[in-house]
Amino acid sequence: MRRHDDRFSRLAALKPAPRAGPLPATPAAPSTPAATHGEPLQQLLGAEIVCNRFGACLRIRGWFPVPELPVVAPHALRVVAPDAPESAACPDDWLFLDTETTGLAGGTGTYAFLVGVAWWDGPGLAVEQYLMREFTEEHALLAALAQQLERRPVLVSFNGKSFDWPLLETRFRLTRVLMPPSLRAHLDLLHPARQLWSHYAGGLASVRLIELERHVLGFENLGYDRRDDFPSALIPQAYFDYLRGGPAAPLAAIVRHNQRDLRGLAALAARIFVLAAAPETAVRDPREWFGLSRLFHRRREHRRAREFYERALAAGLPGMLERAAQHELARLAKRERDYGRARELWQQLLAACGHNAPALPLRPRETHRSADHAAAPVEAPNRASSPADPRALEAFEQLAIYYEHRARDPQQAAALTRAALQALRTGLRSGTIEPSRFRKYKARLEHRLARLEVKSRRLAVLLQS
Amino acid sequence: MSESLAVRSAAVPAVSGRSGALYEALQALADHAERLSRTQPDGEAVLTAVRHLPAQSARYAPMPAWVRPELAAVYRSKGIEQLYSHQAAAIEAVRAGRHVVVVTPTASGKTICYNLPILNAVLESPDARALYLFPTKALAQDQLAELEDLSQRLEHAFGVYTYDGDTPADARRAIREKSHLVLTNPDMLHTGILPHHTRWTRLFENLRFVVLDELHTYRGVFGSHLCNVLRRLRRIARFYGSEPQFICSSATIANPAELATRLLEAPVEVIEENGAPSAEKFFLFYNPPVVNRRLGIRRSYIHESARVAREFLRRDLQTILFANSRLHTELLLTYLQQAHPAPPGAPEPVRGYRGGYLPGERREIERGLREGRVRGVVATNALELGIDIGSLDAAVLAGYPGTIASTWQRAGRAGRRQGASCVVLVASSAPLDQFIIRNPDYFFGRSPEHACIQPDNLEILVNHLKCAAFELPLSPQETFGRADLSELCARLAEAGFLHFSGGHWHWIQEAYPADAISLRAVTSDNFVIVDITGEPEVIGEVDFPSAFTTVHPKAIYLHGAEQYHVERLDVAERKAFVRRVDADYYTDAIRYTEVRVLDPAAEARLSQPARNGNAAPPAALPALRAWGDVMVRSQVVGFKKIKFFTHETVGAGKLELPENEMHTTAFWFTLERPLLTALPFAVSARQAGLYGLLYALESVATLLLMCDRRDIATAIGERPPTPANPGVTLASSDRGAAHRLLPQTARDDVSTSLEEHQTVQEFFEPNLYLYDAYPGGIGFSEPLYQHWEELLRQTRQLIAACPCTSGCPSCIGPVGEGQPHARQAALTILDRLLG
Repeated sequence: MRRHDDRFSRLAALKPAPRAGPLPATPAAPSTPAATHGEPLQQLLGAEIVCNRFGACLRIRGWFPVPELPVVAPHALRVVAPDAPESAACPDDWLFLDTETTGLAGGTGTYAFLVGVAWWDGPGLAVEQYLMREFTEEHALLAALAQQLERRPVLVSFNGKSFDWPLLETRFRLTRVLMPPSLRAHLDLLHPARQLWSHYAGGLASVRLIELERHVLGFENLGYDRRDDFPSALIPQAYFDYLRGGPAAPLAAIVRHNQRDLRGLAALAARIFVLAAAPETAVRDPREWFGLSRLFHRRREHRRAREFYERALAAGLPGMLERAAQHELARLAKRERDYGRARELWQQLLAACGHNAPALPLRPRETHRSADHAAAPVEAPNRASSPADPRALEAFEQLAIYYEHRARDPQQAAALTRAALQALRTGLRSGTIEPSRFRKYKARLEHRLARLEVKSRRLAVLLQS
Repeated sequence: MSESLAVRSAAVPAVSGRSGALYEALQALADHAERLSRTQPDGEAVLTAVRHLPAQSARYAPMPAWVRPELAAVYRSKGIEQLYSHQAAAIEAVRAGRHVVVVTPTASGKTICYNLPILNAVLESPDARALYLFPTKALAQDQLAELEDLSQRLEHAFGVYTYDGDTPADARRAIREKSHLVLTNPDMLHTGILPHHTRWTRLFENLRFVVLDELHTYRGVFGSHLCNVLRRLRRIARFYGSEPQFICSSATIANPAELATRLLEAPVEVIEENGAPSAEKFFLFYNPPVVNRRLGIRRSYIHESARVAREFLRRDLQTILFANSRLHTELLLTYLQQAHPAPPGAPEPVRGYRGGYLPGERREIERGLREGRVRGVVATNALELGIDIGSLDAAVLAGYPGTIASTWQRAGRAGRRQGASCVVLVASSAPLDQFIIRNPDYFFGRSPEHACIQPDNLEILVNHLKCAAFELPLSPQETFGRADLSELCARLAEAGFLHFSGGHWHWIQEAYPADAISLRAVTSDNFVIVDITGEPEVIGEVDFPSAFTTVHPKAIYLHGAEQYHVERLDVAERKAFVRRVDADYYTDAIRYTEVRVLDPAAEARLSQPARNGNAAPPAALPALRAWGDVMVRSQVVGFKKIKFFTHETVGAGKLELPENEMHTTAFWFTLERPLLTALPFAVSARQAGLYGLLYALESVATLLLMCDRRDIATAIGERPPTPANPGVTLASSDRGAAHRLLPQTARDDVSTSLEEHQTVQEFFEPNLYLYDAYPGGIGFSEPLYQHWEELLRQTRQLIAACPCTSGCPSCIGPVGEGQPHARQAALTILDRLLG
């Protein structure tokens, strides 16, 4: 009675819009790739069949020289991965991991069809990749991975803590036979990499491995480049196409892509640990000083963080970064009650933002300190001034606090507060400050100004008498 | 008027105190109503019903011996020494391992029916887990408070948490591990839990119970989706080796057992006998007097509701006033706050309560009501379900809430353990309101409301099949509803969603299917509405089927009491660009609809009901009823601009919009030629009568099916020729040959004027269609086919009892000029159909 055929014409409409070009017209005949084109694939990839008691899957092995070998000092481990146990410090136990999946959404319907692992092996990097040619090979693939993790129980990944590993745990659980392997530690490099380098090239849009390879590690050092790389976004579709009898060639490109990810990951790990352990010799660019200070700052190693900010400023930073460094350093200095240095930095920051701050006399006892930092550029000619930089507002406010409570100069403090209000209005007009923020700031500043004016009057009366 | 006298006799003048004040208020209302009735031309009663529901004493049963002593002690410490009879019956049935649905009114202690057996199971075996599903987040929050209290009294022997969109990410892991009782809603189960079931291993491995609260809300589209979500839930539970038992609660409807059985796809034990006590209660039906008889316009029910509420508030009786929209809530609140201003410095004694108020504010109002600080509250249905606000003295319902079940739920807000309480339903002039208010027996009798679902609606089923495949590869041996799994999966594989490997169908899409599937709509295809007055901003969404009627180019779109002019409709991008305007008109789309019958599922000839003692076969009537698959093609071809308040047409425009095709199910009556020709009316009156009849049928159908007016739609079309009666249709001389070749076209918006129809040739043998307004159908057609006689009788009742002369929006819809006999024609047709 139900005419399914009629109704199924509507199913076509349920199909999602094609993203990257139409699907290749593949025959929908039930295919068993292992039989029809399994051997070409194996040859194409230079793979071997690995068998265990759960079945078989493909394994691709490789060995690559590396640009840098790691030195893992315990204090560097604490900075890079504060919650890792000390037993994670031995690089022999590390297993680098990167997966290629059928989607980024996660959940139980996303598969990791290619799992690549790597470890330091002599002067280079050994790579093993496991590929399932069909969903039936997933158990064998997972069992092979579990075996590797038994040997090397410290997992090292890039964004694997929130993506690859939970996904694999899900895959293990779904087997109902294989328990997810327990890790001794999981070192995820995404967050330390963000602290260290996200400010590169005017701010890397998102800290992706490929960006780090290009800007930090350098393809010239890595021994490969990504010019012919298979685009990540097309990976799931290429695999689905293969499953449905499509070409195997893209899989070879995906395997290569995954290899590079692993090599990049290992190089990145080496770089991070070298930097964290011995920055004096490892830093190649002043911006890395800034990155290091951010990393140490975040880990609450304030002494080291301050030291690195000072080094970064001394080495010379591009405008935006310089202001950021001045700002953070001023906060740290204030925290450590070095008010003189803090005041100086805020003044430099204001000058850098293009503010004609009210004349700010230096107190005699501070002049010798500021002389140490005379090298810090105050007014670079080509620097874009940004009067409404929120940092400038904070600098005004902090200076006002300084003059009110430290220097006990309410007139000066009031002048600074007025200047802050002026900058705030400019910010609102130019659209760099949203109205809600504007109102909040304005109320705060006006409150301070009112108090300062009372204090100033009182002071004036006092001086007259 | 005789009813209003009943109040007098019931009012006992000697009673003082709160009950005395209530009687006084009732008396005042009765007097007022009688004065108004006298001004009515035909003396139509304003109080159409005054029912006295006598106090009922409790029926108790002892706490069963198997209840753990510590649990019994906790309930004792809350003052519960023994159980009501229905509670005892429910927990014994649960104990016996059966699925249970408890059908009882508000405030009858239904939560014990599920909490007690579940907590008992947790105390017996600390591994046991239960999942509670509430239709809304607010209800889950409310239950959480009660369960947390129990947990505290049991020295934290069990963990209970809510898991919904508001749950912070860092708390989720703890909830998954520690929570014995997880309180959530179907949407979260669908998008957040099932697709991530591996994170919930502990819950699923030990899932003993699933609680479905407010079962009657799972009907129509939502219910059809829920049934599929439950199929997925049971499937995942089976994967982890558990087979949960379902405990459901429902408001009173006609078919709780049928609904529960369809939702759970398993036999269910229904417990209907209520053992809870109740104090005496008055239930009044208040119909505002007619001010314009010809147009059927009555005094504003909003003002009248405020007036009624003031009678209670004035006597310091705690009162809740329910409105059907946010706008009316605010309006009523303004009236009442003006009439009952707060003393200087004191908080407002009358408060508003609706969605959109902040949670903190809501909790404060709830507390204020329980503690008596808040004397009156104006609420939307946000306060209808569950939320604990104690019991009030009076409830006033501004407008019929749409279903009898939710009317009783709102009414349940008034009702003290001791002393009298009162409920007043104030009717608007909408057809449903007028029908209910003039047919008290329909309301107070056995519930006629059927909750229907159609879980095997192909669109819905396929969507959930995708989710199921995402959750776990599908095996061709599995069953999922009544679907032929291998065929569906093969189709999904062709469309690129699934891949067959190792004896299972695997999901092969990057997208996460549950994300794109809303449980509250059939299709996930939506138009977004972009306001381009300033910076482009998305202000809302409309679903595909209604986009062409609401956001066609040049339409006035109303949103949040603002008017927007639709500048452009981008069909490919599914976007409507609108600009804020201030216009004195609104627009009404003109749509042509054609219904084509694809596959009748059942057809029967109407017949004269058998007379008593007459053994002769009932006489056949020249009419048929049928239901089945239809194809509905509709196109918006133009629109009218209609002035506010005067409703004059001030302009019109043509539109070229794509045709919309929908495969759905319909119920229809076929009126054969002899029936029409025997009508003592002119052709145009017959036509007007047909449209009026259909309008009234639709009203009553929504009533029987507990659905919204937008859930079903209507059309009239020519009866298609069938092999069974080729002669009649083809031999007709009344119909031109060309007509046979043309599609049967009919206007579906009966509400607009009929002058265009007069030029249209008369229908030879019309089919009157009532179809499901959702692709694939949502299960309304078959119940209408089964209950056709009730549909016709109640429709007749609706039209006959209307005091208007020739038809009005309260009965057969607005009637054009020069159609004085439309109402009579509709009634006559009904009489013929009923033999």
